[in-house]
Amino acid sequence: MLGLGLILAFLAIYPLAMLLYGSLHSTPPGMAGEFNLDGYRRMATAENGLVLFNTVVMALINTVVSLALAIFLAWIIARTDTPGRGVLEMLLTLPFFLPPVLTAMAWGMLGNPQVGGINSVWRWLTGTNTTIINVYSYFGVVWHMMQYATTFLFLFIVDAFRAMDPSLEESSRMSGASLFQTFRRVTLMLMLPVITSAFTLSLIRGIESFESPLFFGTPVGIRVVTTQVYDAINQSARPDYQYATALALAVMGLMFLLVLMQWRILGGRNFTTVTGKGYRPTVTKLGPWRWATFAFCILFFFITVAMPVGQLFVGSFFKFFGFYSWNMLTLDNYAKVLRNDEFRRGFQNTLLLGVIGASATMVLGGLTAYVTTRTQLKGRRIIEAMAWTPWMMPGIVLGIGFLWGFALLPGPIQIYGTIWALLLAYMTLYTPISVRVMSGAYSQLGYDLEECSRVHGGSWWQTFWRILVALAWPSFAVGWVLVFFGILRELSASILLFSAGSEVLSVVVLKLWTNGRAEEVCVIGLFMMALVILFRWAQSRFIQRHINTL
Amino acid sequence: MTQQARLLMAATAAFILSLVAQAAAQDADWAKVIEAAKKEGKVVLYTSTQGVEFHNQALRSFQAKYGIATELLDVRASELDQRIQTEQTSGRYVGDVLQHGEASALRHEQNGVFQPYISLPNFQNLQQIFKEKSSKVRVPIYVSAYGLLINSELVKGEDEPKSWRDLLNPKWKGKIMADDFRALGGGSVWFDVMFGALGREFHEKLAQQNIVFSRDVGNDQRRVARGEYPMRLPQHYSNFPQLEGLPVKLVQPVEGASYVQFDTGVLKNAPHPNAARLFIDHYIGETVQVIYANNALVPVAMGISEKADPRWRSITGAKLLGTSAPERLDAMLAAAKEIYK
Repeated sequence: MLGLGLILAFLAIYPLAMLLYGSLHSTPPGMAGEFNLDGYRRMATAENGLVLFNTVVMALINTVVSLALAIFLAWIIARTDTPGRGVLEMLLTLPFFLPPVLTAMAWGMLGNPQVGGINSVWRWLTGTNTTIINVYSYFGVVWHMMQYATTFLFLFIVDAFRAMDPSLEESSRMSGASLFQTFRRVTLMLMLPVITSAFTLSLIRGIESFESPLFFGTPVGIRVVTTQVYDAINQSARPDYQYATALALAVMGLMFLLVLMQWRILGGRNFTTVTGKGYRPTVTKLGPWRWATFAFCILFFFITVAMPVGQLFVGSFFKFFGFYSWNMLTLDNYAKVLRNDEFRRGFQNTLLLGVIGASATMVLGGLTAYVTTRTQLKGRRIIEAMAWTPWMMPGIVLGIGFLWGFALLPGPIQIYGTIWALLLAYMTLYTPISVRVMSGAYSQLGYDLEECSRVHGGSWWQTFWRILVALAWPSFAVGWVLVFFGILRELSASILLFSAGSEVLSVVVLKLWTNGRAEEVCVIGLFMMALVILFRWAQSRFIQRHINTL
Repeated sequence: MTQQARLLMAATAAFILSLVAQAAAQDADWAKVIEAAKKEGKVVLYTSTQGVEFHNQALRSFQAKYGIATELLDVRASELDQRIQTEQTSGRYVGDVLQHGEASALRHEQNGVFQPYISLPNFQNLQQIFKEKSSKVRVPIYVSAYGLLINSELVKGEDEPKSWRDLLNPKWKGKIMADDFRALGGGSVWFDVMFGALGREFHEKLAQQNIVFSRDVGNDQRRVARGEYPMRLPQHYSNFPQLEGLPVKLVQPVEGASYVQFDTGVLKNAPHPNAARLFIDHYIGETVQVIYANNALVPVAMGISEKADPRWRSITGAKLLGTSAPERLDAMLAAAKEIYK
């Protein structure tokens, strides 16, 4: 456990310590300056109070609506006989894997009040001059956040729904409870660890959301904590690191309270749903209602996937995105991307970092979750807290912590300027997800299975491998995909840590985007989506084969 | 021939010989720089202009001429500053050459981030104004100018603004999109220049026009082309060539254009100092200056405009109104925040 603690301390606490230093010192680490509280003093204003209030309210609305949608979708996919669930599951999750700039661009075209596609259709249908949707508003910010939050939450909870023993729901129904009562009192209650984890993760991510408020909020004066931090670093005459780090650390303190609340809610309860008793995974028969749930999934897919992704698909075949005339049809965007050396290099580096990073992060997360949920070791709460902390720090600030941290390591330790800097940063950023996914999975496993194995002569390792790993494998695979594609999309830390030759895909996308080459960004986005479909397919095959062999 | 005439001739001959000898010595010195640069084998360029094609064209021309490998790190200005600061304080030197906007380059010069470039053969070909704006560690390499972008289907004929003051016409209320004047970038430079040229009163009236601010430059140009807004300011001249074929037009108002000068210098403790000097000399030489001009940038060397693509000649020879001064940055950002609430 000491080794695990040291690894987590290096990955999570060391960069945070750098940021704490930055918030208390008038200059960044390594430069002459003085210690003072100026950053915190300047941060504590009524204006920032209002900004924080706005941020929390938007994050809360986003999380509550997205969680409700995600639970309903997860229930449909995992616990009902809705037709085509396998395909629907893959399709519903696609928006999560797209770079936010792409979906922002697509929604900007669909929902702008002047010439947006939705408003144009509405005006054509009604013959009026009214506007029914304006994405440049509070609604637009939350709507864009929801594209990611709903699919993230769905991915996070769907396997927990699948792993649940249906006998508990059957008992409820046999005791006279209605379908809704059973869903509310049994299904939801048993899902509490996963749901509260997902809620907390999503709320924190919502508070740290950056792209949605930047694209849809900034033009109409909507400000949130992350855009304040961004302005202090990127939009001032001189980057104000002291103020930016102080603001980020103060918000992190508030978010830590959320995590403590979650621990309090879950403390002392038993959520075991997978026990030594055999169970037959069955689904609820919905009768004719299964077509209603099917239609709901299709509607969700159409609005959140088909409409924006359709824009990207069509846009990738035209010289200019959004200008669709025959003489502008071209395959040039595909040729340009394939000829782009930086894209090829970025893709190779990202794939390497994604595979190694996701595997290492899931192993680290699996071990951490094991220590915190399956043992009574002293200090396990500290381990858990260390694993959580990176999630509570906005990426744009954490990136600076890594940069300072890696550059100021003692001379012989050469991480700065190498690809390893990116790998370590990714592990830090995604360990919280891996820990949450694996903790959720472990909490559902009864201790009787392990005891049974040990009684029958199984060693600790055999028990760990044949019982815990085997039963938690689907969650491990889901976590792996979440981390892998998180790495594929990660920008904030990458932009500060990549070096010439170690470019990653998100950096290449940003470069193309800032130079108005939206069509090539569309091609890369579609390429990433094809990768998602391939990985999701491979994942399902892999799980099926390994669950059987394990 | 008189004694005086013989003496004068001898003195002249001696002077010419000394010049020739000096030039020969300089050539020999520069040949040593080239030799040393080739031995170093690599140069790493850090720049704050991200993802632009002209970097690749310029880098390829250097590689082709000298056979020296190049590496490019192009990130946003704030991220570049962060790296430079971190590398210089931690002693982990990776970059050789830094390219940055004049204001940031000046700040880095004051912080001692550069080392002297000593001498550059192509320096003598710079326009006088840019020679004067250079220092012992910093050389201008190009100028990026800004105009007004209009949607040519929504703004036609006599409606087309001729002067920046035409933006105050009430018919444009709520219809002008702009890069945020309250944040560091093209918008703040334009604010500063107009503040100096047309006064605070101009900005106070412009604020009444309910300007829509956005910082998503690449996408904002397209939003104008799609007709979401009839105009946008300030428009990078160098971004305009990519919009060819769309219903947009670049307007150069009569007062002239705001601009940003880009400078370059050798970073202190650069791992490849000779390659860095050679690289900068190449960048102010004719080949790269023509590349810049063909990408709608204003070159700093003499006699380049006439060698550039005729389509962009009006841009490379644009009337320049002014740029922002580093010492005014804080005051101007504060004024912009006050006026455009």
